Amino acid sequence: MGPGIITSNVDNDAGGITTYSVAGAALGYKILWVFIPMIFALVVIQEMCTRMGAVTGKGLADLTRERFGVKITFYAMLGLLLGNLGNIMSEFAGVAASMELFGVSKYVSVPLAALFTWWLVLRWSYKVVERVFLAACLVYFAYIFSGYLAHPEWGMVARELVVPSFSFDNSYLVILVGVIGTTIAPWMQFYIQSAVVEKGITVKDYAYTKYDVIVGSFMVNLVAVFIVISCAATLHVHGIRVDSAKEAALALGPLAGHWASVLFAVGLLNASLFSASILPLSTAYFLCEAFGIEAGVDKSWREAPTFYWLYTILIVVGAGLILLPRINLIEVMFWSQVINGVMLPFVLIFMLILINNRDLMGDYVNNRFYNLITWIIVAIMIILSLLMVATSFWQ
Amino acid sequence: MSRAQLHVLREFFFSQIQGEPIFDHEGKRVGKLLDLAIRWQGEGPPRVTGIKFARGVQSHIPIDQVEEMNQDRIRLAGKLNEEELIPLQDDEIYVGKWLMDKQIIDLKGSKVVRVNDIKLFWIERPDRRYLVPMAVDIGFRGLARRLGVEAFFKRRENQFVWWQYIQHLEEKTAALQLSTDQAKLDELHPADLADLIEDLDYKKRTDFIEDLDVEVAAEAFAEMERDTQIEILEHMNKVQASDLLEEMAPDEAADILGELPEGKADELLNLMEPGEAQEVRQLMVYEDGTAGSLMTTEFIALSPEITVTEAFAQLRRLSQEAETIYYLYLVEEDKTLSGVLSLRELLMAEPGAVLRDLMQTRVIYVFPQESDQEVAQDVNKYNLLAIPVVDEARRMLGIITVDDILEVLIPDRSSLETFASLFVSKRRMK
Repeated sequence: MGPGIITSNVDNDAGGITTYSVAGAALGYKILWVFIPMIFALVVIQEMCTRMGAVTGKGLADLTRERFGVKITFYAMLGLLLGNLGNIMSEFAGVAASMELFGVSKYVSVPLAALFTWWLVLRWSYKVVERVFLAACLVYFAYIFSGYLAHPEWGMVARELVVPSFSFDNSYLVILVGVIGTTIAPWMQFYIQSAVVEKGITVKDYAYTKYDVIVGSFMVNLVAVFIVISCAATLHVHGIRVDSAKEAALALGPLAGHWASVLFAVGLLNASLFSASILPLSTAYFLCEAFGIEAGVDKSWREAPTFYWLYTILIVVGAGLILLPRINLIEVMFWSQVINGVMLPFVLIFMLILINNRDLMGDYVNNRFYNLITWIIVAIMIILSLLMVATSFWQ
Repeated sequence: MSRAQLHVLREFFFSQIQGEPIFDHEGKRVGKLLDLAIRWQGEGPPRVTGIKFARGVQSHIPIDQVEEMNQDRIRLAGKLNEEELIPLQDDEIYVGKWLMDKQIIDLKGSKVVRVNDIKLFWIERPDRRYLVPMAVDIGFRGLARRLGVEAFFKRRENQFVWWQYIQHLEEKTAALQLSTDQAKLDELHPADLADLIEDLDYKKRTDFIEDLDVEVAAEAFAEMERDTQIEILEHMNKVQASDLLEEMAPDEAADILGELPEGKADELLNLMEPGEAQEVRQLMVYEDGTAGSLMTTEFIALSPEITVTEAFAQLRRLSQEAETIYYLYLVEEDKTLSGVLSLRELLMAEPGAVLRDLMQTRVIYVFPQESDQEVAQDVNKYNLLAIPVVDEARRMLGIITVDDILEVLIPDRSSLETFASLFVSKRRMK
């Protein structure tokens, strides 16, 4: 199991599941075509990060700091911090929502989940945590079953997967960019590169990592496709719109049967917990790395206080805000999505500058053809992110 | 030159002068300070030799043409003379490009830190003026300064690492790694050094180890985690890797080599000094079914010279790790096995008695190359709970416990009935 697969599974988090369910309910199978080009884009972008990690032995935060200086790094890290705080909140919201489906109050489930993730990482090594959750990733097959139980029209699914359909309708655009934005997010680039560095993957064994990235990108999109299918086959057909994964799970019950609903909820809980344990840790790690502060779970609290406090604060704030009675989650998601959308173009451009730097990459810079492809993808991503930010304000 | 003649005119930070305009003696602007070229010269701090003053211009204004320098004003003594410009030398680096924001080693704190800023002294001596980078700023205040918000953090102390405690990391500066710096690294505690190396990225780790004195490197190496050790060995120059292994204790070397791919391990062993390699090979290649492959090195070895009370104290400490505590092996300074004592005998002895007087000197032992059947026979015949393994010189190598022997003779039933049976039955179905 390599960094690509792990990153993909963190990517299928509460925010992702919510977006895919909403998309499936609102647009039906019509959104499915997006996922094949997305696999391609994801592979290209992640391949560059893993290559940078393998060749330089440094994380993306590191390289950004060394190449672009303190100021740019500061704003990039601020963006990453705020964006990820939003993501962390949505993970705990995911925990709350899925446990409520089983009749557990969020005032019980969220503090417990926060304590659990915090304790898990401090008590056990990161590697153990990773393995536990990777095993739990099998739970993602829950969505595939859930999609199957929904009895979709497979012919239609197959057609919509390959035939693009587009509309300039405002709500269509919002959902489209939402789906892409949640799948290709800025934190991923930082995460996958650090994972490559931490695992000690070097240029020599880099070839395997490529396959790992491809498999991972395929997995994340496969799960997404099935979430869309299960919502499209049930909710969309009956004209039910949903605003959250919880509503989707509830609405699935009467239409696709109790088990589809339960599987959906279990998948959501697992995804939320997994990402909730990894996001705060990795965020704290990048920040410390960029500013040269001691970091890492192998250090003691006394050796790396900033790191541990950041980690703790991210969890406490992320989980705490969910418990506020008047918190408007939609508003929080909105801002976190805007921040991520604004950041992504910058991160992608930094990456392209870095990966074409011969001082850093030697012979492993992009070739011209690859550069052309990546610039096209980056240009599309930039347009979409700008669209996302713009449409977010329209709503 | 005596200290009294040295006069610090100004002190400022690199971030404060970077990008500042440079004027000639008539007040005409000739460019701006983009970067500084510095050179390490044997003893003493590095010196700034020239100023990169325009983009695309590869030569520098020599520092001795500068009349005045501080954060508000950089002025030359005369006109900018094209012919006096000097290019970057092989032993020089740009501080802005190769030092700012990069990782360096803080030898005093023995950790890897990031350069937030560089403190420069503008020094006057009777004959000439120098610009000297005195320290790197690794603190929060340096960060705040670069972000333009230092005013809010005036109460924070600057955290400096003075030049003499800096160890460079960038490959570009390899020429500057002076023997004096190397000597300083060698003086660090091996455990600290190991931590330092583990903090580096994989390329630097390897370079770094290769630069160290081999004895020091081996000591630090032994302190590292297994994963890191293997990673380093795989990337290291082979000759140096084999030198490193020679310096290590043979069993450690054997353990590490055992986890490398077979071809790679062989290659390294062939490069090692034959005697050393032989020893390691012996430890490595205990074939399955020999005493050597069964033994564990986690046994209790005590000096025969200590008293019963002391023995109990040591036992308390050692028993956590040991495979069995019922036999206490009494081992001389040179590791030769001279006797054995059971826990029962120790319990019954007078607290003040010396172990040498209590121990049984007729010890049953096996050699590592003996087969497990022979071991089993000895264990059975003498009713032992564990049997020591020694080499030809009767040096203690390890022990084999009775349950390990049993496992060989009677394969574990429960596991047979669950996992293995699945495979067996499948095979039978064919």
